[in-house]
Amino acid sequence: MINRRHIAPLLLIVGFAVLPLVAQSQADRVKEVGGKFLCMCNCGQILTQCNHVGCTMSASMLKELGVMVSRGDSEDKITQAFVQEFGTTVYAEPPKSGFSLVAWLMPVFYFLVGAAIVVFFIMKWRRQAPAPAAVAPAGVHISPEAYERARSQADRDTED
Amino acid sequence: MDVFGSFTLLLAFVCAVYALFGGIGAIFTRHPLLVKSTRQAGMATCVLIFIATFSLEYLLFTDNFSQAYVVSHSNRDLSAFYKVAALWSGQEGSLLFWSFLLSIYVISVLIAYRNKNGELMPYVGVVLAGVQTFFLVLNNFVESPFKTLAAMNASGVMEPFARMDGNGLNPLLQYPEMVIHPPNLYSGYTGFTVPFAFALAALLARYPGEKWIHLTRKWTMIAWCFQSVGILLGAHWAYAVLGWGGYWGWDPVENASLLPWLTGTAFLHSVMMQEKRGMMKVWNVWLVFCTFLLCILGTFLTRSGIVSSVHAFANSHIGPWFVGFLGLTLIVCFVAYVKNRDYLKSENQLDSMISRESSFLFNNLLFLVACIAVLSGTLFPVISEGLSGSRISVGAPFFNKIMIPVGLAILFLTGVGPLLAWRKTSGESLRRNFGWPVIVGLLGGVAAYLMGYRDTFSIICLILCGFVFWTIVTEFYRGAKVISARTGMSMMMGAHELAMRNTRRYGGYVVHFGMVLVFIGLAGSAFNKDVQRPMNLGESMKLGPYTLVLQSADTKPEQNYTAQRMIVEVLKDNKQLMMLYPEKRQFQGAEQASGTMVAIYSTLREDVYVVFAGMDPDTSLPVIHAFLNPLVKWIWLGGVWVVMGTLLALMPNRRPQLATALAPQTVASPIAQALNPSVTLREGHD
Repeated sequence: MINRRHIAPLLLIVGFAVLPLVAQSQADRVKEVGGKFLCMCNCGQILTQCNHVGCTMSASMLKELGVMVSRGDSEDKITQAFVQEFGTTVYAEPPKSGFSLVAWLMPVFYFLVGAAIVVFFIMKWRRQAPAPAAVAPAGVHISPEAYERARSQADRDTED
Repeated sequence: MDVFGSFTLLLAFVCAVYALFGGIGAIFTRHPLLVKSTRQAGMATCVLIFIATFSLEYLLFTDNFSQAYVVSHSNRDLSAFYKVAALWSGQEGSLLFWSFLLSIYVISVLIAYRNKNGELMPYVGVVLAGVQTFFLVLNNFVESPFKTLAAMNASGVMEPFARMDGNGLNPLLQYPEMVIHPPNLYSGYTGFTVPFAFALAALLARYPGEKWIHLTRKWTMIAWCFQSVGILLGAHWAYAVLGWGGYWGWDPVENASLLPWLTGTAFLHSVMMQEKRGMMKVWNVWLVFCTFLLCILGTFLTRSGIVSSVHAFANSHIGPWFVGFLGLTLIVCFVAYVKNRDYLKSENQLDSMISRESSFLFNNLLFLVACIAVLSGTLFPVISEGLSGSRISVGAPFFNKIMIPVGLAILFLTGVGPLLAWRKTSGESLRRNFGWPVIVGLLGGVAAYLMGYRDTFSIICLILCGFVFWTIVTEFYRGAKVISARTGMSMMMGAHELAMRNTRRYGGYVVHFGMVLVFIGLAGSAFNKDVQRPMNLGESMKLGPYTLVLQSADTKPEQNYTAQRMIVEVLKDNKQLMMLYPEKRQFQGAEQASGTMVAIYSTLREDVYVVFAGMDPDTSLPVIHAFLNPLVKWIWLGGVWVVMGTLLALMPNRRPQLATALAPQTVASPIAQALNPSVTLREGHD
């Protein structure tokens, strides 16, 4: 049986052991969530990375974020609060919904269209390629022009 | 001197206008005197711009504080080193500097080709004069660097006056790299004007043959090299000065510099298709046009204030001028293309899907996708504001997610391309060529995993780096072995001889090797760690295997600033490695600006990067922010190799003496001589 007298010191010890872990996990969460916002000082940097001299915003934004994280607010709630306060320019990356989805889809669209064009041209150019010439029998005379053509072709084909 | 500078700029404008319109007249009349006089007007324009630029530098060096530009960007205590840099630190000066660098290219082209390419050069001269005229309009009438300070006196008359001292140079620019980074980047931007001029001139003149493409390629390589160095120096500056622990933040201005680099790189690859197979002529011409247009667009983004950036110049009314010039250039290019498109008729034939040609097509696709993705991401805030009414930011996480897969695909093709033959690659050749590179790549991945690297993209990147590295080694080894066997040279000398015989090909491989090193460095960024906290003197903190001890702090007065310095000892396994001195600087000058100076202990394995992040408002203790950034040094080393490779590729080929001498004894038949690459009498293009 644990003596009642020992409960308080025990709680204190457990508290001291756990508190740094809680603080650490909170700091990690601030870092994780803060990585999704931009600093609003117009530097264009991620909130948690903005430490340039004379920044008027990052310290207060991080403090605000810290309060929300320690309160246990969800990421959605924090995002909502930040967007309400600073507008949509606070996003570090566009949300994957609504009009912002266009930003994510555009590169995929470019790639697909580009790949389709490349494949189309490859097919087209392959059709334009002449059929392979029949191999000349041994001892057949080669004209100087044909020889020169073959030679310059070999030159070009082996340069790079 | 300000009146003199202003006058020479105006005279330069007159000469450029004459070179432009006289040049057009010369093209139509073919009058030799008119051709000559417009060429000389082009050269005079350049000389006058040089004089104007030196005039502004003279005003900066003599602390002439009656000049608005000198007051805004310099002060008495600014060192001579940074007074040079003050030339390009402001909008007006940097536009003059742009004209200055462009003039160096223009005068080089006009002198180098004064007796060559007679049919083409009048057109080239007109295009160059057109671009110069645009910038001289800005220099003279929109953003003149020679403005005298004036104030209204009691009787309402404007009177010139002089200030006692200037505001000083922006502290962020008072760093050695800022003296060499902008000139390099601007040399890249302006350098792309020359290939543009040759491409447009060849199209307008319907210049016969492929000579213009050789000229264009050479000048593109020069501009590309400057652009690469400029981008890397900019990244190093951001790393060492901004103090956020990274080197690339996908800032709009950084992106603007990357755009022409991407299309320029695509061109340097696809141009080979035109030279060897007569393919993709339309594509190549448009790549050159787009590269130039992207340079102008980048300048517009940097200077118009359309996108916000820490690097951007102050907002000005210069934007519409750039939009007008962009529009006009695009129209000229389009009309020239439509009128002369039959001149660009290609011999597009592809023998096989698995060939060098196909790999170049996909390489170009990826570079273009990268370029358009970066451009649309950079402009998305503006687009979203225009279309939906709310400005949506696009920051580094977006670009990283999009560009990492594209970058890895490009890296993959960097290894695959050289292993594929022109025209067609057989299955046997594929097995033979790919076997070892794939094994080495996988071994690289295993080694990275064993060293504790657990990020998927980083592991893939390191596998691909191993793969590409081995393809390059194989290419050198095979060639060097043949030369060594024939001449008795050592393998090293054989490799050297090989590279000198086909500088473009092996220079290209050296550039690829440099890019492998850059990618290794980029792979390390997934494992960055950092720790930040207020520290008492004598207190220590752990950062990976290192211990950082704040030993002391001091104040160091310098000529133009006072530095508050933290002295941090770096220990590993209780052994002292180094003392680091991160600083905060308080600059003199009217604006009393402050700046930071990061201290870095750099090794091939990792950087210990220490920032003095200011004083903690609660405890008044100095806050130390320390980062452990693996493999960063590889990026800068990669940059050095990229430059060396480009320089090698620009060198003329050495003629192989041996082949000529041995040819009669070794060649069995004419057709064997024709098809055996080792006995060809001519190598390389130049």
